[in-house]
Amino acid sequence: MTRNFSMLPLLLVIVLVSLPLMVMYGFLVLDTFTDAPPGELWPDRFTLRHWRFLFDPTEVGNVWAASFNSLVLACSMMAIVLSVSTTAAYAISRLHLPFRRFFLAGILVMHGFPAVTLIIGVFFVLNLTGLYDTMIGVILVKGSLMLPFGIWIMKGFYDAVPWEIEMAGVQDGAGRFTVWWRLILPQVRPGLVALGVFAFLDGWGEYVLPRILAPSSDIQVLSVFLNELIAGDQLGYDFNLFKSVGLFYTLPVILLYLIFQNRLMNIFGGGTKG
Amino acid sequence: MSSSAEATGGVARAARHPSTDRPHRQIAAARPRISLFGALLLAPALILLTCFFLAPAVLTAVFAFTDMSTSTGIGKGQYVVTPNLLRELADAGLSDEVAEAVSVETYTVDDAGLEAAEAGGVDGRFLKNIADRLNGETYTAAREFERALRGLPDAPRSPRELKLAAEHFGQSVLNQRFDTSEELSATLAEVAPNVSEETRDRIVASSYTGAVWTTENFHTLATQRETARLVANTFLFVSATLGFFNLSLGLFLAIVLFYMPKPVNSVFSTLWLLPRITPVVLYAIMWKWFTWEGGFLPVLAEQVGLPSFNYMKGSVVTAWITMIMVNGFIGASFGLILFSGALRAIPVQQLWASEVDGATRWQQVRRIILPQLRWPILFVTAYQTLSLLSAYEQIWLTTNGGPGKTTTVWALEAFRTALSNYSGNLEYGLGAAMALVLVIVGLTLSILYLLLFRFGELVSKPRIEF
Amino acid sequence: MTISKTLTRGCLTAALLSTVAFTATAEDYTITVWAGGTNENSDYRYEAISMAADILEREAAVRGEDLSITVESQAWSGWDDFKQAFTLASEAENAPDIVVSGHEDIGPWSEAGLIRPIEDYVYFDVWPLNAIYPNLIDVASYNGQVWGIPQDAEARVFYWSIPALKAIGWSEDEIETLPSRVESGEFTLYDMLEAAKAMQDEGVVGDEMGFAPRVSNGPDYWQFYQSFGGEMVDPESGKLVVDTAALTGMYQFFVDAVDMGVVPATWLGSEWDMWHQNAAAGNYGAWHGGTWHYAQWTTQFGLENFFDTVQYSLIPSGGEGGRANSITHPLVYLVTSAASEDEAAIAAELIAIASEPRINALHAVKSAHLGIAEAETTVPLYAEDRWLTAASERLAPHTNAIPNNADFGIYWTAMFDGLEASWTGVSSVEDAVADVEAKVTQALGDNVIVR
Repeated sequence: MTRNFSMLPLLLVIVLVSLPLMVMYGFLVLDTFTDAPPGELWPDRFTLRHWRFLFDPTEVGNVWAASFNSLVLACSMMAIVLSVSTTAAYAISRLHLPFRRFFLAGILVMHGFPAVTLIIGVFFVLNLTGLYDTMIGVILVKGSLMLPFGIWIMKGFYDAVPWEIEMAGVQDGAGRFTVWWRLILPQVRPGLVALGVFAFLDGWGEYVLPRILAPSSDIQVLSVFLNELIAGDQLGYDFNLFKSVGLFYTLPVILLYLIFQNRLMNIFGGGTKG
Repeated sequence: MSSSAEATGGVARAARHPSTDRPHRQIAAARPRISLFGALLLAPALILLTCFFLAPAVLTAVFAFTDMSTSTGIGKGQYVVTPNLLRELADAGLSDEVAEAVSVETYTVDDAGLEAAEAGGVDGRFLKNIADRLNGETYTAAREFERALRGLPDAPRSPRELKLAAEHFGQSVLNQRFDTSEELSATLAEVAPNVSEETRDRIVASSYTGAVWTTENFHTLATQRETARLVANTFLFVSATLGFFNLSLGLFLAIVLFYMPKPVNSVFSTLWLLPRITPVVLYAIMWKWFTWEGGFLPVLAEQVGLPSFNYMKGSVVTAWITMIMVNGFIGASFGLILFSGALRAIPVQQLWASEVDGATRWQQVRRIILPQLRWPILFVTAYQTLSLLSAYEQIWLTTNGGPGKTTTVWALEAFRTALSNYSGNLEYGLGAAMALVLVIVGLTLSILYLLLFRFGELVSKPRIEF
Repeated sequence: MTISKTLTRGCLTAALLSTVAFTATAEDYTITVWAGGTNENSDYRYEAISMAADILEREAAVRGEDLSITVESQAWSGWDDFKQAFTLASEAENAPDIVVSGHEDIGPWSEAGLIRPIEDYVYFDVWPLNAIYPNLIDVASYNGQVWGIPQDAEARVFYWSIPALKAIGWSEDEIETLPSRVESGEFTLYDMLEAAKAMQDEGVVGDEMGFAPRVSNGPDYWQFYQSFGGEMVDPESGKLVVDTAALTGMYQFFVDAVDMGVVPATWLGSEWDMWHQNAAAGNYGAWHGGTWHYAQWTTQFGLENFFDTVQYSLIPSGGEGGRANSITHPLVYLVTSAASEDEAAIAAELIAIASEPRINALHAVKSAHLGIAEAETTVPLYAEDRWLTAASERLAPHTNAIPNNADFGIYWTAMFDGLEASWTGVSSVEDAVADVEAKVTQALGDNVIVR
């Protein structure tokens, strides 16, 4: 459809615009296994020493413990967001409930709400429930903050499932739960996958909440771990090291992204980040 | 692959879809037990949202009207009369005699004290020492009495034990923490019986250490000069990021990629999505590497003879540019995805037809493409205004509001005031007030947007297809 | 922020069982220690507690008691994170037993009931607490009670590059007498700016490298307020003092420094790492920091020949009515309310033992902080350290501390906001001072004196 127009100038422009990103991500990978002389951009030698941190805890501390904690946070996030959004969205999409419109409006407002401004109140709640400085507390808070988004997305999927499927099931005498579990859930599987991956990514990258709500070093997550490397004033900035730890941290994200690319493209459109 | 633009483009076109909502309701109404099932399904979400979303929101509103801070503690005040308090009260007209009477500490070894000590579990031999050697003595300072006690042969080894034993013989109110005003009042009456009840009440009232209700926070926000600066910074930040990146760049990328062959399209879409999925801490580090001394841009600038310094923090203008780009590069992908989706929904025949008619590309973009994007553009503007208003994480991790406070926005300042500052003086009350302002602005905007996007249609027919 | 965690387990229990035939019921304690502003050089802030635990266990064994103490410690390299974590943890009642923080936190933390007065748990007239400098004990006191035990002391220092001074024609003698001229008030901050400018004109230091103040908020900036004659607190009434003339002088000084081109307008908020590197490499003409930076520069940033290349003095006076000064910012060991009565008693004993000159000297020398007791200066390790001895002689006698006052944080934040605003040119000096005055009086009302 676009044969009439020359593409080269446009391609040049878009490469130019994307240059900062290309440089940043290109060097992110490059710098982890090379060294450059001071004041130079191009590396002149290959080295694997920036990756020593993987098995030498004296380098930066125990990166595996932090990875495990991040994994726990991300997976639990995924479990909570998936299970709760899936059930709630079904109820909203299909079932007769009082205040349904009101609830939907609430979800929509919360969806775009500056949730992070509530952190003092969140602390108070966690304090009351004894969940401050626990991983469970962070998971619950982070999961809850993502719920409006999750419910909204899942509701969209349920709405797209033809009503006839459900009718058929109900008329065959199956209970409402069986219908939902056996017939409807498989229909929204693409949504579940996308939302699950999205929740995982969100939990994996989260920084502020664990940092404030769970400062104990036992439950330190990778984001906090990584930021400490650069925030300490005594290390001297070793960007190659930061990037190596950072790349290690980001690998699962990139992997997930590559696998689920197409599904995610859509859901990111509704993402909550600026 | 259909697109998420349905979510928003769908807003505009929702009217075309007949609502599938109505039939459910009729059936549902016919079987009330279904509601129970629905309530059950909804319950976990309701509980979580109430606990971790609504309750904090309500608490924020409540805290905003208090002077809560590190020194008042969160929600648990006690009553304590300190020398500083007495000095303050003296300034406000409390007589010296009263102050002296209240701050007196006397230790007398008498039968009453010995009994109290025995009841309090003080070691018997030690008590016998006290009774034998110190009976009838009076001391006017705790340290004096303690020294006397320490001279006794069976004095406990632990200072704490000895000091606790000493307390049974004295009556002092100074620096003692009481959980209720009654307790303090009663002790005050014992220590200084000559003080009038009215004065006592005044002392008790002002001895409260916890947070008190006040509208001072809003008064401060309304009168301080800094508010205007913060508002201006926030406005500049939101409008520049939105205008240059989330909208313009997003639109530009979407349209250009629309004309590109699929492989190119997918490479660049992926590239521009990376900032969004990269963990924020790493993303900040990449920008630091990009802009700091010894980093990419300064080194490059030096090599070609341009001014080379820490662009992120070294000048106000470059700090602003950096901060807007840091956020904008994340935001551009939002626009990109939505606009691309809407573009794919344009009937290809329409484009072909225009090309046959000899339209230039610019004409094609202006006449056919842009009109199609009206609703998505509006949606991106609305949605991203909200998220940019409350965005502070990226700023905190990069420019941190500097140099000085020149790039500090409202949300960052609220966060700092309430939770993160060098002097360790966390002003929860003022911070909550600042957060509340954001919440109210956010709520107002969301409701406006709901009206704008015709909430009724959104509710009846939201579609995000995959 | 770097959080490090160490665990020391007392393993004396087994040994005790074999030597003591009958023991009282075994007592097991876990004492947690959190330390703020603590890097690799200052790990004895918590290591000292572990050492003390070992000693206390042995003492108990000698007395025939079975005592076992586990010390768990966590250190933060920064302050904001640490204070936030401690405050929130205290509210949530899972704070540590011992916390090592700046003495100025005693004000708000004691009012909020987060800490216990340590005077309830120790005797100050027995060794080693009776050896601690009385002025340090004062610094750890608030509202008529002693809340903490000083952990270290320090002086903040104005550093001068000797090569740069020589390059602008200073004689050996002039450089030698600089500290005394600063102390007498003869050599002022503005003289310093002139010298820094001359160094830049001479080309010995780069543009805007003549003067390198602290890059972030810190007690250091109160020194400049004092240089211009400001007082932080009224000695009579104990109220905070906002001296508008001194604030104006101080803000104007930094604005002038920017105008003269010896420091960038965007200095505040720049990076510590660059500052350390340049300071250690002698790239600045004059700069100021703390005694402890000496340890970082010599051990981590490769500074050699410190005494040949760097002159050091008090912070110069700002001129008429001002005075040369230096602020000491002692950290204190505090026992928290989160500790049970028994834990608090043990914690206080550990702190007392950790204050032994010999143990404290380990921290002082390793981190280049000043000692807390006269006796400590005679500990060989300390006495042999040239820098500590020199700093103790030249700077320590002239130091004072920021006040312990629950409201000081509000004043501090306002002061620094004003400094940032005027320094970056966002507002004029007059407006900035007026803002500070307005903020502080609005928040504190009658509890502050404006001059």
